[in-house]
Amino acid sequence: MMRPAALLLLLFTLDTAAGELLVTDADGTPLAQAMVTRTPLEVPEADLSDDGYAPHGVTNVSAITVTRFTAADGHADIFEEGQFSYRVRAQGYQDAWFTEPQDSIALAPMNEQQLHASYPSNVWLSQMPFGGDEELKQTFQLNCAFCHQQASPFMRNERTVEQWVSVIERMNSYGARLPGDDIHQVAEILQKEYRQLREHPEQVPQPRTWEQHLSEVEMTEWPIGDGFSQMHDFLLHPNGMVYVGDNLFDRIYEIDTATGEYTVYKVPHYEDARVGGILGNRFTVFPKMHNYMGVHSFAYSKKDGNIFITPSMQQSLLEFDVKTKEFIIHDMPGGYYPHTIRTDDEDRVWFTLALSSQVAMFDRKTSEFTLYDLPARGFREWLVLKSLPLLFSLAPENRPTPEPDREATGLPMPYGIDVAPDGDIWVARLYANDLAHIDPDSGEITMIDFPFEGPRRLRADADGNIWVVAFQNGLLVKYDPVKKAFTRYELPVVNELPYALNVDRDRGVVWVNGNQSDTILSFDIASESWKVYPMPRQRFFTRDIEISEEDGAIYTSNSHFPTWQSEGATPTLLRITPLEQ
Amino acid sequence: MPLRLIASLAAALCASASVAGDWQYYGGDQGGRHYSTAAQINRDNVSQLDVAWVHRSGDQQHLAEWMGNTSAQSTPLLLPPRAGESLVYCTPFNRIIALDPATGAERWSHDPGVKLAGERPFRCRGVAYYEETRVADGAACRHRLYSNTHDRRLLAVDARNGEPCAGFGENGVLALHGNDQPADMISTSSAPLVAAGVVVTGSTVVDFHYSRAPRGTVQAFDSLTGELRWRFDPLQGQAQSGGANVWAPMSVDEKLGLVYLPTSAPSPDYYGVNRPGDNNYANSVVALALETGELRWHFQHVRHDLWDYDTPAQPILFEWTRNGKAIPALAQPTKQGFVFVLDRSTGESLWEITEQPVPPSQIPGESSAPTQPKPIAPPPLLDSFLMPAQAWGLTFWDRGDCARQLDELDNLGLFTPLSEKLTLMLPGSLGGANWGGGAILGDSGVLVLNVNTAPFTGRLIPASANPGERDKRDHPASGERMRVPMQGTPYDVEVGAMVSPLGIPCSPPPWGKLVAVDLERGVILWEQALGSVHELGPFPLPFHINWGTPNLGGGIATAGGLFFIGATMDRQIRAFDTHSGDMLWKYTLPVDATATPMTYTYKGRQYVVINAGGHAMFGRAHGDYLYAFALESP
Repeated sequence: MMRPAALLLLLFTLDTAAGELLVTDADGTPLAQAMVTRTPLEVPEADLSDDGYAPHGVTNVSAITVTRFTAADGHADIFEEGQFSYRVRAQGYQDAWFTEPQDSIALAPMNEQQLHASYPSNVWLSQMPFGGDEELKQTFQLNCAFCHQQASPFMRNERTVEQWVSVIERMNSYGARLPGDDIHQVAEILQKEYRQLREHPEQVPQPRTWEQHLSEVEMTEWPIGDGFSQMHDFLLHPNGMVYVGDNLFDRIYEIDTATGEYTVYKVPHYEDARVGGILGNRFTVFPKMHNYMGVHSFAYSKKDGNIFITPSMQQSLLEFDVKTKEFIIHDMPGGYYPHTIRTDDEDRVWFTLALSSQVAMFDRKTSEFTLYDLPARGFREWLVLKSLPLLFSLAPENRPTPEPDREATGLPMPYGIDVAPDGDIWVARLYANDLAHIDPDSGEITMIDFPFEGPRRLRADADGNIWVVAFQNGLLVKYDPVKKAFTRYELPVVNELPYALNVDRDRGVVWVNGNQSDTILSFDIASESWKVYPMPRQRFFTRDIEISEEDGAIYTSNSHFPTWQSEGATPTLLRITPLEQ
Repeated sequence: MPLRLIASLAAALCASASVAGDWQYYGGDQGGRHYSTAAQINRDNVSQLDVAWVHRSGDQQHLAEWMGNTSAQSTPLLLPPRAGESLVYCTPFNRIIALDPATGAERWSHDPGVKLAGERPFRCRGVAYYEETRVADGAACRHRLYSNTHDRRLLAVDARNGEPCAGFGENGVLALHGNDQPADMISTSSAPLVAAGVVVTGSTVVDFHYSRAPRGTVQAFDSLTGELRWRFDPLQGQAQSGGANVWAPMSVDEKLGLVYLPTSAPSPDYYGVNRPGDNNYANSVVALALETGELRWHFQHVRHDLWDYDTPAQPILFEWTRNGKAIPALAQPTKQGFVFVLDRSTGESLWEITEQPVPPSQIPGESSAPTQPKPIAPPPLLDSFLMPAQAWGLTFWDRGDCARQLDELDNLGLFTPLSEKLTLMLPGSLGGANWGGGAILGDSGVLVLNVNTAPFTGRLIPASANPGERDKRDHPASGERMRVPMQGTPYDVEVGAMVSPLGIPCSPPPWGKLVAVDLERGVILWEQALGSVHELGPFPLPFHINWGTPNLGGGIATAGGLFFIGATMDRQIRAFDTHSGDMLWKYTLPVDATATPMTYTYKGRQYVVINAGGHAMFGRAHGDYLYAFALESP
């Protein structure tokens, strides 16, 4: 005999407008905030004849996926004409897939093991006390969690201490900087504490519950590149295109989000350039790598729309003419590791030089660079910074590399940068835990101690406040330049390690990248309230956010490195769009 | 109840009653635990262990021309008293020999006269004993031995005298699947499995020369008549491929009525465009109903194999205890260096499986699996990464050369698909674990097994490039590289050991080791280098250098707290303390013992026996020895 509730649901279903999916539990109770993803079954044929990628100037079409969440009544408007597969995911329930549109689907509950396995990395990481040594945990997080998630299932696999040491040493060879003195202790802790969690998963807190606001948005993804790519930063251009950089393969993807068409432009490099550029190739064992320049960060000129790109691996600045699709390489007079980039209203291009602890300004009127030296934290650091030209005159394989220490002596690493509404320049130094203010007219530099750990990227809001993520502390921090006061805001998810943020100046919203919790976070400045947006794929590591002035939609990209560890194993550009109510 | 079922149940009861702690099955028992309750030889007195007798099969004298292509890999059985109480084993040429267990004197032998054509190495890892209760007590062939031959025949002989069982097949012989094809395409190496009136046989398929190698069909026959009872093709739905055969020993749980098949890779090993998808039931443990062959469950540990990661070892049946509850379990060591622990009733993993994302293939048309299963515990048996900074060498010069080699090849760890660029294979197709399997220490849930750790490299070469000499072997000899065609594909494959100019592996030693794994806690208890390299240089050294050697063959554990193993490239058989991993005893054999030993107690004296015939694959000396060790005064 049919249960009354199920009968009611059936009647309700019959009354539902065609094209909507009802998601229920096994008993027929509607499930709100269930994630439903629509993926085309037929992937458009693509020209990937250039080592697995599209050749220069070739246009392909991306297989766009769309994700929506069920409303309080369990319904989602997700169906579309055509051949698609649909995946339904809800917290605490087993995923379900189907291909033919149907009225409803009932999800089976997860068992205990499946439930724990479904938790994102951050909740597991939150239960890693590192033997009570908070400083060591922060050192670990700073150096081991900026490429990929920690405490993911792949990290929680049982390993011996020797196997962990081998893993850490390998990661250090790729560019992590865990101090040598800490390696063995960290290996012992990872072996011990991951095992404790494995044996007592009930200690792990439940992840943040998906909330009602999710049914008010649509998530769209454009898969681009392959498992070896890394789609690091990108730009929403006034011409409507999104430009995404694959920083391992020196390619720019120009994406028409309306049609899914994308055109790939290969960044030129110097004839004598080597893979890995002047920094040297740390990934010699990778099957393919094409980062002669290292496409990193993007900004556009408000004057002519040309795009400026930091090539991390060279002593230069890239300019991309969006009309002619031509690249121009501007050689720099000095400085190492061009990093995050912004432009101002005077058509000046500002970017950090992460390795040489400088800020560069490229004045388009004169085509000249000005380099601003940020102060060293001591004599040794000054000496290291001054000796960089000598070090870089040596071939990468013969270049001595200083042993990292916990204070990152010699590497203050200016990272994020932004231009405030008043035209002032603000910079965060990741390892030095300070902010730099540059008066663009006088060139005067003021350093401000940042009272938290790991200021990574920053942005200014409409009022001139500076918003910074404190990476190791997992905090959002506001700096009021007038009051010279810092305010800290706890993130709404535990043990998140925020990489970057952006401010919707028009709407007063700060968007924060999550990378351990498979989420993007929004913070309403006026109400000081958070909203959490779960990502449609697991192991979604984001480093950049762009905001559409028109409707407040935001863009981010999955740049988990290595990409093949992400669910689906392909990087995607993702947009979260508010649905019209 | 059908008569056949009643007979099967009776047979099962007889079989289980006859175990009595002695070695009547290839793997010690039907579940391949490699464990004996014998404790006369123990930690305290093993140092006094000495040669009791030596038997030579005579192959070295009579088949000298072929000996270079053999490896004596047999593990003998001790027949129960009612079956004659002989020690029986097989030679690489499938001659079955029965010996006096006390003296090694030959009682009888049966020579099937295998075809000697072809280049496939000759080997026979064992025979199977069964008491056929449908035959009258005292009649011929009530006690029988079954043996697979190199040339794809299944033999049934009387265990008491070696005479063919006339009522089985045609005068004690029947043709197996692939019998009409040469041994260079399909042959046999492991013993058949017999239980409950059914004989189950696998095959050895040469699976990387051909895209469409022979099918890996498993066959089951009536143990009395040889009538085909059922057959199972692990590659259902893959017409353009072959293999996925069962070359390693199988296990059976008669109580559950399940036979467990360790299936191998589909063909060709390193290229999968011709076989899209996961390739179910290849690279799996497959549980079939022993009676009918009906599929009950399967657990695939490698999807769409591109690495030759066969299931290499006998599934080990044991009781897995958690929170005081015992679960009938199965441990499966793998070439890739994992030990999967499954509920053998259902096939579900008893440890969480983490789907490990793996690098995509670079080969046009190849759709490699995006993830591969990895148990969250126990840890991998070896580290599958080797970075340039970890390169090893005796001198600055050869260490530098190894670092250069590592710097130039692709290496993204386990499951990096081969491309046209040289790629690290760690472990290579040798494993990790291999056919020696492992030993469970009594009821402890502790597994001790031998592991290979030396690195290999490989790449795919367009078949049109550099046409010329191709190799016909399936594994490179020590320090060599070989290139073999994968007929039916656009590529040849080149594989070889990764060594320095001095011929030394580029990874830090040990290059072979023993590992003790607590399967219930999911942790490694100890590791110990296995083997000495003192005979591997240009001239032998008078002292041992225990850096471990590549090893093939397995070990056994006893209630005396000992683990016995040969397997190494140094002519040694050793005994280790199962608690600490310390080596307590060793003996120098005339040639390497590429076999798994066994132990039995006969007339109050415990013996440890091992077949020593050399390492044909490793280019070591060959022989035809069977050594028995015992205490002088037990």
